[in-house]
Amino acid sequence: VHAPASCVRHLLHMSVFSQSFSPCGRFLAAANNYGEIALFSLSSALSPDATELSQKPILTFTAHEGPVFCLLSTDSQLLSAGNGEISAWSWAELIKKVMGRGKILSSCLMTLLLVSLCCLSQDNSLIVGGGDNNIHVMDLEQGNFKSVLHGHTDYIHCLSIREREGEILSGGEDGAVRIWDCRTGQSVHCIEVYKYESCARPQYGKWISCLTTDSDWMLCGGGPSLSLWHLRSLSPTSIFSLPGCQRQATFYQDMILTVGEGPCVSHCLLGGDVKAQIPCTPQSLNTLALNTNSTEHRVLTVGGSSDHIDVFTNLSYRAFSLSF
Amino acid sequence: MGAVTDDEVIRKRLLIDGDGAGDDRRINVLLKSFTKWCNSPGTPEEGFTQYQRMLGTLAQCEFSMGKTLMVYDMNLREMENYEKIYANIEQNITSAHEKISECKKEIQRAKRIRKNRQEYDALAKVIQQHPDRHETLKQLEALDKELQQLSHIKENVDAKLELRKKQFHVLLSTIQELQQTLENDEKSDNDDNNQESPTENGE
Repeated sequence: VHAPASCVRHLLHMSVFSQSFSPCGRFLAAANNYGEIALFSLSSALSPDATELSQKPILTFTAHEGPVFCLLSTDSQLLSAGNGEISAWSWAELIKKVMGRGKILSSCLMTLLLVSLCCLSQDNSLIVGGGDNNIHVMDLEQGNFKSVLHGHTDYIHCLSIREREGEILSGGEDGAVRIWDCRTGQSVHCIEVYKYESCARPQYGKWISCLTTDSDWMLCGGGPSLSLWHLRSLSPTSIFSLPGCQRQATFYQDMILTVGEGPCVSHCLLGGDVKAQIPCTPQSLNTLALNTNSTEHRVLTVGGSSDHIDVFTNLSYRAFSLSF
Repeated sequence: MGAVTDDEVIRKRLLIDGDGAGDDRRINVLLKSFTKWCNSPGTPEEGFTQYQRMLGTLAQCEFSMGKTLMVYDMNLREMENYEKIYANIEQNITSAHEKISECKKEIQRAKRIRKNRQEYDALAKVIQQHPDRHETLKQLEALDKELQQLSHIKENVDAKLELRKKQFHVLLSTIQELQQTLENDEKSDNDDNNQESPTENGE
């Protein structure tokens, strides 16, 4: 199973699309455009006597036939979405370096391009953004689809959850950010970001590729500039003037960390200032993940158009890189 | 090199170093010279000189012993001192650790405060864009008053209209009644005339 990953040309053309930390926080799973998932041991990579070998995966396997755009961890499982199917892998088995038999949760979405997965912890449902312009809500225990949310006019790029209010936020190619009520399944609000002059960047387009929320605030970006929105008043409060389109952003303490086109992680303040841009190995970044599951291995990892995943122990500089 | 035998080496070493080194040697030499002095047949002056010399050596030994004792004392006290310093440093380390964790907590608190302030500022910026609430309230009050005035006027006009309507209605109905009465009278007059003429003709 290691053969494809070790071919040099394969490595040159590799892009890391998604990452997820294990529930114990000691392992990182990363997925690439070849449909492979690699498992890295953070405890050995971060230990004082780490060698080059500890920066290589402890397990690599082919999960799907197409690129795996999305990885999500629940308490015991790693969910991966690719090639129209969602598979569930047991973390316990993965940690023991056994690939296990990935349980395919749904193959009825066979024809869809699946780019985003999100999880509602309260009622154990999985929210899936589909290429059919709809959002599907699946019950993780039963394994069946509970409801479909219609409203977007083009495929869905990104999803986020407002746990407190029980709402789902979705951003899509049609440039709209929709807020859905989980219980009624209706679209409560629809924000067309590209219509706001301050955010719009017509030269890039109107699509929204990056969405995250902090219950009161929302960050969204993509074609339009990355902007911070106050959800109760549905108004944009700050615009971040970053070159290129942002692909993933997250709130961290009093800052915003964001990655996208460009070989750097941008640190921004809520007021709109870009405080710092930390250089990274990949030329363009797709995914950013913060390990909040473990106190000893609190790292930030970023991956993009390279077979290297940069690891930051201190946010100000790149510590080392893991590689496929 | 190999020409010198082991015996030679041992004999030489015993000769040179036979008494041991330093103080040990002095005591050994003293003992030897004491026994020699006791058994020596020499003159009393010689004996006395020997005796003095021995006293001198003895004094040297006592001095050396005293010095060693003091050094030992000093070492003990030095040890105590070091123990104290060690305990002090240990304490400082633990208090520094505590301070560090306190500071870390402070940082977290400060970051949270900064985040809240920034959120506040961001919202304030948006709010500033909207007109002042007092202004708007005043405008609303003025509009309300105008509305009231206008509706008052409307009421008056309506009332007037009603009154005029009623008056016209009264007028018209009176006219109609009069007309009716006049018609009735005319009719009854005609009837009377018609009734009279046949009787006149009949006579």
